[in-house]
Amino acid sequence: MRRWTSLPGGVKFLIGVGLLFLVLFVANSTLNRYVLHVIILIGIYSVATTSLNLTNGYTGLFSLGHAGFMAVGAYVATLLTFPVRLRIAYNLPLLPHFLGGPDYQWPFLPALIVGGLVAAVAALLVGAPVLRLRGHYLSVASLGFMVIITTLAKGLKDLTRGAAGIQAIPRYTDIWWVYAWLVVTIYVIWRLLNSSYGRAMLAIRESETAAQAQGIHPMRYKLLSFVIGAFFAGIAGGLYAHFARSIRPYEFSFYMTFHIVIMLIIGGAGTLLGPTVGAAIVVALKYVLKPVEEGLGIYGLVEIVYALMLIGVMLWRPEGIAGGVNPLRFLVARKGERR
Amino acid sequence: MPLLEVERIHVYYGVIPALMDLSLTVDEGRVVALVGANGAGKSTTLKAIAGVLRPRSGRILFRDRDITRLGADRRVRMGIALVPEGRQIFSTLSVRENLLLGAYHRRDQEVKKDLEWIYSLFPILRERMHQVAGTMSGGEQQMLAFGRALMARPKLLLLDEPSLGLAPLVVREIYQVIERIRDASITIFLVEQNVNMAMHVANYMYVMEAGRLKMEGVPQEVMRDEDIKRAYLGG
Amino acid sequence: MFTGTYVAQQLLNGVVLGSMYALLALGMTVVYGILRLINFAHGALVTVGAFTFFGIFVALGWPFSLALAAALLVGGVMGLLLDLVGYRKLRGGPEVSLLITSLGIYILLENFIKLLATPQPYAFRPPAFLTQLHNVSGVAFRTVDIFIVIVSVLIMVAFAVFVKRTKLGIAMRATAESVEAAQLVGINVNHVVAVAFVLGSAVAAVTGFMWGAKYGQIAYDMGFMAGVKAFVAIVIGGIGSIPGAMIGGFVLGLVETLAVGFLPPGFAEYRDAIVFTLLILVLLFKPTGIMGRKEAV
Repeated sequence: MRRWTSLPGGVKFLIGVGLLFLVLFVANSTLNRYVLHVIILIGIYSVATTSLNLTNGYTGLFSLGHAGFMAVGAYVATLLTFPVRLRIAYNLPLLPHFLGGPDYQWPFLPALIVGGLVAAVAALLVGAPVLRLRGHYLSVASLGFMVIITTLAKGLKDLTRGAAGIQAIPRYTDIWWVYAWLVVTIYVIWRLLNSSYGRAMLAIRESETAAQAQGIHPMRYKLLSFVIGAFFAGIAGGLYAHFARSIRPYEFSFYMTFHIVIMLIIGGAGTLLGPTVGAAIVVALKYVLKPVEEGLGIYGLVEIVYALMLIGVMLWRPEGIAGGVNPLRFLVARKGERR
Repeated sequence: MPLLEVERIHVYYGVIPALMDLSLTVDEGRVVALVGANGAGKSTTLKAIAGVLRPRSGRILFRDRDITRLGADRRVRMGIALVPEGRQIFSTLSVRENLLLGAYHRRDQEVKKDLEWIYSLFPILRERMHQVAGTMSGGEQQMLAFGRALMARPKLLLLDEPSLGLAPLVVREIYQVIERIRDASITIFLVEQNVNMAMHVANYMYVMEAGRLKMEGVPQEVMRDEDIKRAYLGG
Repeated sequence: MFTGTYVAQQLLNGVVLGSMYALLALGMTVVYGILRLINFAHGALVTVGAFTFFGIFVALGWPFSLALAAALLVGGVMGLLLDLVGYRKLRGGPEVSLLITSLGIYILLENFIKLLATPQPYAFRPPAFLTQLHNVSGVAFRTVDIFIVIVSVLIMVAFAVFVKRTKLGIAMRATAESVEAAQLVGINVNHVVAVAFVLGSAVAAVTGFMWGAKYGQIAYDMGFMAGVKAFVAIVIGGIGSIPGAMIGGFVLGLVETLAVGFLPPGFAEYRDAIVFTLLILVLLFKPTGIMGRKEAV
């Protein structure tokens, strides 16, 4: 154990990734489709939650618009990869030629990345006016952004087919795509935190005034964390669309944001692997409770349990459930003390 | 007879110690001053007595009752009023509203009478009665802070740097008021950097340095100490 | 083109909606002023009020005034409970903890109502005297519209008198300015906060009744947008200003109604997007709103 802790972080990270993929390989070849389905969803939500963690857990900003950024990523990536043979039937030849036009579709990876980039640009536009104000404004403005996005997704029928949504999206997302992106997301955030950018962000979370006194320009770092967070949220959205194979505007609602928030809080905001732990708990719980909810006809049970968990954690264990018990403490450990 | 006894309190800001093993006594009917350099812990001492800060250990007795665990609002009701540093008047409220809030906890019929007493003590406040407090000058705001604290009918009045940032003429005026408050038999515990003014009104003096008590005594005695003279009187 | 009657009709609708936003904004801004909490649960009280009235008036068949009083009472008690059980322990900690908790409380209440009342919306029929139609030179309205505006104005006037004239009201404004200074003059801040929650929640519950009576339908999720928009109204009016919150409510109600009424028909579905675009514009160009002071970051 002592040897393990004395290894350099990069080596530990590589070993961790190796182990992860070994486990996934075994899982993929032994478990049934239903369980794999849950594992993939956990991975997608982990990407989303980890990206929210960058914005919320480390810089102390609270974005409630994460589902909005996921929607942007989902719709953009879907429009780009949409199959040629279905474009006419779905009225998508109206798309400009560089977006695929009627003749060709984009491969998955560039489509995902463009989806993430568009989400990042949207974050820049929303964040720039709002981030110079008190943190609360960001919460409400980003929530507003989400509403604007879902309303647009409903309204721009030529592009999104409105409330009916887009179906027959090719299923590109598989367990490897998802967990590769999760590794990338965690890696980027981990590197970021150990750079001068990361130290500046943590300083801002502790005290904005003190950070300013050290010559840190808070606005720049807040915007950066917000934009990078939105990028990975967009990626998660794209992964989700190519997994669920259909997207509708109302899916990217306040409830999706709430679920990501609760994963973050339960897993432990401000920890590197906490979001993944939180996503696993919350998604798994849903698959356990949903049959109970439907069997007994008590609709709302899952959300009530989630809400009680969230309130309970806030009141009695604000560091999250994963905060203290995770065997991978070196990755979960908080950077700096949170007040 | 001791009105206030502070017994060996330790106060921390997070992990940083602010007061170490501090003990002091304020006798009824006296004016007691606490002097010391910037950052010595004077304001912290007052905040601990007023109940805004909690000591980590030690206790505070007021009229022989242990008040260490009581909230600030309860202490006001028992008769401890603080005129905080920087005054902290309610700047969006009118002068009259500020004064009435001073008597917030009182249910007796004499609030109106006391209001008249405050107006007679500070005639300027009567003129400015309906003005928004934030628009007044620094000296006027200081008088309002005094008036507000007095409206609580305190037995012990805590004053935190009443002369800070005020013109010399105004400082003199403030100190005349302190004398009148003393004459109304209200016990005063005064924190000052302006040692000259403090030794003028005080019956007894404590000197603090780096969170600890350095010495105590009647002002003339304290001022005979060579160290103190050098530190505070530039001689 | 738009006739004078049409304009008048839209203005009336805007004022009615604005009255309800103003009432919600009022309750929210008082709590925000002291705790810096955007209380998402405030919207849930709208739903609670609507369903309480519905249950007692329709299901139990009690008289109108009793049902309304019950909604008011249930709202007030809920507000007190939320404060005592949910928020009190978190005070003094990071502001964001309060926000997250209020989110959890909102979800909890919404789903509890969903569980009790099923996910389907209910037709909400107010008592007959409120549904009577009137027509003043082409402008059509029902008694309920007048009822909403008059009751809202009465509540706002009562509240203005309360914060201006009573000791507790003055203490509430003082606490909003500085919690520490308030404690130092002997104000029991917990007490003041509890009063703010009780009053705000009771008013929100009554607003829930109004909402149902105006739009003829109630559902378990009706309160969410209402609550969030009330905060938008606060930002428009200027954070920290009680009159500002009320003005912001009316402005928002008018903007929303007029935008839908005067933009081409296809824009009606962008209603909520318009509201939040307005929010982002206000934050961009005038973050202090109509009446607000600059808030420290």
